[in-house]
Amino acid sequence: MKRIILPLLVGILFLVIQATFLPFFPIHRVRPDLLLIFTLYLAFLFPPISGGILAFFMGYLADLFSGNALGFYTLSRSLVFFTAHFFKGRIYLEGFYSQCLFAFVTAILEGILILILMNAFQFVPFGKLYPLFFTFLLPQSFFTGLVTPLCFLLFKKGSLLLFRQPEEGIKERV
Amino acid sequence: MRIRDFFLFRRYSLPIFIILFLLFALVLMSLRAKQRKGVDFFDALMMEICSPFQKGATFVIKTVQGTFQQYVFLINLEEENRMLKQKIAQLQEENYGMKEMKLANERLRELLQFRKKNSSSMIGAEVIGQDPSSWFKSVTIDKGERDGVKKGMAVISPAGVIGQILKTAPHYAVVLLLTDYNSAIDSVVQRTRAKAIVEGKGENRCQLKYLLRADEVAVGDVVITSGLGGNFPKGLMIGDIKKVDKKGHGVFQYAELVPSVDLTQLEEVFVIMEPLLPSPPQEEKVKKGKKTKK
Repeated sequence: MKRIILPLLVGILFLVIQATFLPFFPIHRVRPDLLLIFTLYLAFLFPPISGGILAFFMGYLADLFSGNALGFYTLSRSLVFFTAHFFKGRIYLEGFYSQCLFAFVTAILEGILILILMNAFQFVPFGKLYPLFFTFLLPQSFFTGLVTPLCFLLFKKGSLLLFRQPEEGIKERV
Repeated sequence: MRIRDFFLFRRYSLPIFIILFLLFALVLMSLRAKQRKGVDFFDALMMEICSPFQKGATFVIKTVQGTFQQYVFLINLEEENRMLKQKIAQLQEENYGMKEMKLANERLRELLQFRKKNSSSMIGAEVIGQDPSSWFKSVTIDKGERDGVKKGMAVISPAGVIGQILKTAPHYAVVLLLTDYNSAIDSVVQRTRAKAIVEGKGENRCQLKYLLRADEVAVGDVVITSGLGGNFPKGLMIGDIKKVDKKGHGVFQYAELVPSVDLTQLEEVFVIMEPLLPSPPQEEKVKKGKKTKK
């Protein structure tokens, strides 16, 4: 139970930080996406089923407090989780640069997915959306990538306190 | 019992789970698209659970920010004047506190006057959180269904239009700002009475849509609400035009406006409680109800 409830509470904490503390930074577009970083960490730590449910919930929380009337993040965060989980054992993700790059690429891909969903479901034309790729998506993804190693380090310390062997990953109950 | 045992094909249990999971997210998305009023029970429950944390965090941040602005940056004083400067700092802290109170007082007085001026009933609300994502533009306020707030209600400030209610929980609501891509407000250019729809453009800017090429508009023209949408009273300031472009072909011209309200610095807002016109779906429902009674 602890391994589900605690990540949920941490997710709520990150949502609160993202919605209240980070907007106070003078440059809005460089605020990192903490919930995305946490979802990526869940992908490295949790098994697909319980982790997938947690990622789904993270997306659901983001949707609930955003101006997005549909559930874009519920879908995109689940996809991010399963993609990251797929790449977990296949690419080297221990170093600073690899973590930065992985988070940066994931944030860019998720942004593109959101743009496509906005175009498909909310009929916002691409002509209106593509300038955002350079003015907002790139800087924000870069900053998210930059903050990721630090967040991962903190998450690792936190998981060491909570779980016995977090580096081996949490196993599904058998 | 293993979770995998629930599946017919053990070998493909994980891919099936992932596909089902993503399908569920898609179904949830389509259900939300059809949703017309407020939010579901579970959504409301989650908003009720999370919003108090946001409210608390906003309070703490504002307090800390105030302290930093008013005091902490001033403590780096020379040692020889420590005692004296401590007193000055104390007095300054008091002074800043009073200034802050004065500013709050002025702001609230302005709000009160604005409320008196406008006949429609409205309630004041405090902004407790911003949109967690940067793609969409919304804020969370500390008033909800229990206070009479409903989906679609207009949200304004003395400086002008802010947006409309998007989601409601019993004690909290999410406001869709007028700069969001999904926001559309019926408007009129004050000087020439040219009609248009104000649509959000994301980055603190809006676009005037369906503005006829024949209509005369210029940079600096003020755009106000037309009152036709039913949610916003007529004559509320939306913003002023910053760019006009007639170069393209077609029936319409392009105009961009900047909102009169600084949407990044929102603290207090007003929710207009009385819809100016009854909404058509409700009328239809009443008619249907009468028919069934007959």
